[in-house]
Amino acid sequence: MSDLAIHTQGLAKFFGKTRAVDGLDLRVPRGSVYGFLGRNGAGKTTTIKTLLGLLRPTAGSAQVLGYDIRRDLIAILGRTGFVPENKTLFDSLTPAQLVRFNRGYFPNWSDELAARYAELFEIPMHARFGKLSMGNKTKVCHLLALCQGAELLVLDEPNVGLDPVITDLLLRVLVEDHVSEGRTVFLSSHQLAEVERIADWVGIIENGKILLETRLEDIRQNYRLIRAAAETAPSVSSPHLVAAKRLENFWSYLVARDAEDFAAMLRTKGMTILEILPVSLGEVFLGLTRKEVPCISGKLGTIPAPV
Amino acid sequence: MYLWKTWHDSRTRVVVYILAALSVGLLSGLEVVTWANWHTLQLTLERPIHRNNWDFYGDLTFDLLRWQVIGYGQVAALLAGLSLGASGVGREYGAGTMHFVLTRPRARTNFVFTDWMTGLTAMVIVVGALAYGVLPFLWFAHAQGPGNILMGLPSLWALGAAIFGLASFTTLVGGSAPKGLVLSVAGVLTYLFLPAALYEWWHMDTLIKAQNWTLQILSRDSYHFHWSVTVFWLAAAASFLGASLLWIKFREV
Repeated sequence: MSDLAIHTQGLAKFFGKTRAVDGLDLRVPRGSVYGFLGRNGAGKTTTIKTLLGLLRPTAGSAQVLGYDIRRDLIAILGRTGFVPENKTLFDSLTPAQLVRFNRGYFPNWSDELAARYAELFEIPMHARFGKLSMGNKTKVCHLLALCQGAELLVLDEPNVGLDPVITDLLLRVLVEDHVSEGRTVFLSSHQLAEVERIADWVGIIENGKILLETRLEDIRQNYRLIRAAAETAPSVSSPHLVAAKRLENFWSYLVARDAEDFAAMLRTKGMTILEILPVSLGEVFLGLTRKEVPCISGKLGTIPAPV
Repeated sequence: MYLWKTWHDSRTRVVVYILAALSVGLLSGLEVVTWANWHTLQLTLERPIHRNNWDFYGDLTFDLLRWQVIGYGQVAALLAGLSLGASGVGREYGAGTMHFVLTRPRARTNFVFTDWMTGLTAMVIVVGALAYGVLPFLWFAHAQGPGNILMGLPSLWALGAAIFGLASFTTLVGGSAPKGLVLSVAGVLTYLFLPAALYEWWHMDTLIKAQNWTLQILSRDSYHFHWSVTVFWLAAAASFLGASLLWIKFREV
């Protein structure tokens, strides 16, 4: 059995000339909470849809729970709980009827868990799904995914419409009831604080390509932001350099490890090191994905806020 | 599961259709028998009843009832086929629920088969309900019982299956019930009027001959079982089923 819950190699999905996913290499360890991050249109939902057989890959290969997405889709779907981006289920059915509908597909379905989550999330089980609020629709989607005894949970924007209390509850349920049981959670979200709270791995995707895939602990321990000043821009390169941004005569370098060595190298090139700072997931995300836009002064290439 | 869901969604409509079909059958049967009895009564008043008169009106009543079954049956097959087909699995695309359906661990084709099973069962019951409404009057009107009237039903069911298949397929292609309905009505109208138009414009009569052959089951004189035409409509239904299976298998969500 593979140690990876999701493994893609050069996965690609094109829509005409648009390359939504472009040679994606993902390695999601089993038993992990993996935060799959990216800006709007980065390719997150397309990747998820491709992994679950809703879209056919243009190129590359992928295995989910050791099963090939082209050949063994039904085996994958039987072991995967999915909360879709749009949170749309059958409007004519009540949550209780949706439970009845869903239960038949999954031999490991737990009625006990369903009753518990219905109470915990305060879901109106006998109102029609179409009449529910956005938050309650999201809760029903979670209930259906969480109770099917899935080895892998794929959650696309899981907290849409949820209030902070339910969001907190959901994250606790994910960690305490599912990750502790050895299940894998693959979480696509824009809510970096929530991902940072429960994820142990993160992957950042941009333009259909993976920019960074690492342990969150690695970011906390090894990633550093180096601010330096120089009259002229020196040419620097390092395998650990993740991103570099310029603000007039000041430079910001995001390095993955060996920050002191990198700073020393900058000094040899005549730069003055101003500070070396630990970084949050949000800072890494912005450092990798933020586009340089004109700031108030109108100068291109400047950074609106410090990285 | 999906069978239960499709039944849950369509049950009210199907029950209404069945009641409507039974009512039409009963009312038309009542109307015909009343008409025949009135004329028989007139004969009775005029002169002593002659057995031939009874037989004459008995036969006429029988024929009229048979025409009711064939006439209303084709309308029922058309309406039930279009309506039930357009409410098939294809509408899940438009409702935004197809991703939910297709991430259940079943082959995609399974959902089309389930849809066809419930839809065709409902269509067969609805079209048959017209005949069931007329049956008591047939026994009343004719000593030999319904007999060959029921022989016309399989052809109507086959026609209904083909119309259901067309609507089900166009709903899959269109991605919603309204689009599916519009496309399937367009298909039916094209089938009905294109041969006549070609004949009018270019005097091409091949299509109109073929159309007449396929629609002979709708003739008022048709109370025999038409093997070949029934097989034709069943083949049409099967081809729509095949096209639907291919479509759902390869269409992305």
